[in-house]
Amino acid sequence: MSKDSKMRATINQKLTEMGERERLKELLRAKLTECGWRDQLKANCKDVIKEKGLEHVTVEDLVVEITPKGRVLVPDSVKKELLQRIRAFLAQHAT
Amino acid sequence: MKMEDMSLLGLDNTKLEALAQDIYSDLVEDSCLGLCFEVHRAVKQGYFFLDDTDQESMKDFEIVDQPGVDIFGQVYNQWKNKECVCPNCNRSIAASRFAPHLEKCLGMGRNSSRIANRRIASSNNVNNKSESDQEDNDDVNDNDWSYGSEKKAKKRKSDKNPNSPRRSKSLKHKNVLE
Repeated sequence: MSKDSKMRATINQKLTEMGERERLKELLRAKLTECGWRDQLKANCKDVIKEKGLEHVTVEDLVVEITPKGRVLVPDSVKKELLQRIRAFLAQHAT
Repeated sequence: MKMEDMSLLGLDNTKLEALAQDIYSDLVEDSCLGLCFEVHRAVKQGYFFLDDTDQESMKDFEIVDQPGVDIFGQVYNQWKNKECVCPNCNRSIAASRFAPHLEKCLGMGRNSSRIANRRIASSNNVNNKSESDQEDNDDVNDNDWSYGSEKKAKKRKSDKNPNSPRRSKSLKHKNVLE
């Protein structure tokens, strides 16, 4: 198992060092904004804030409520495109 | 284990796929966290609800989508057909031509001084040409330098700026080649 985790660590390192991780992050952010994901989740945040109160809401409150919804709400096309790019990177640098 | 499934780094395809999924998952979580931090900061700094107004005000500023009117509801070509009377020459001018007309009419603006200078220069030309005819016939026939050729050159450049210090390129080259 540890051989695998070493490989994974190496690949993750490469991903970061070559700037690909940043590029992927930016790409994802742009796509999610475009498709209205951010606005949708912001509306959800408003509900959480109204529930917990403006003064008392914490980051934890938001994270716990928003992250699971966020994961589910990513459109399939965005997910496919990201995965494609990641696979391409792995194909290039892990083989 | 099939040979095609093994990559050089020792991870087979299923593991690579799992890795890809994990990387993707991390990226999505990053975005979610980023959003939460942004929202939380906006809430604590007091600017989260700034762009919300009451329903009535929202209706006031709704985008207008009618023909003949821009998105604010203003008529945008109502000055197209209006005419103005020039205070200088008392002529009736179309609104879109009014500003350039005023420029020339009042003798202000960049182009008016150029036109005036050109007129002066060409009136000088008319005077000098008759003189050179009488005195030096050689000068008139000499194409390198005579007022006649200058007139032609000026006409060619009349679209640009005859008063700027810049000489035409072709004349420069002519000197170098000779």
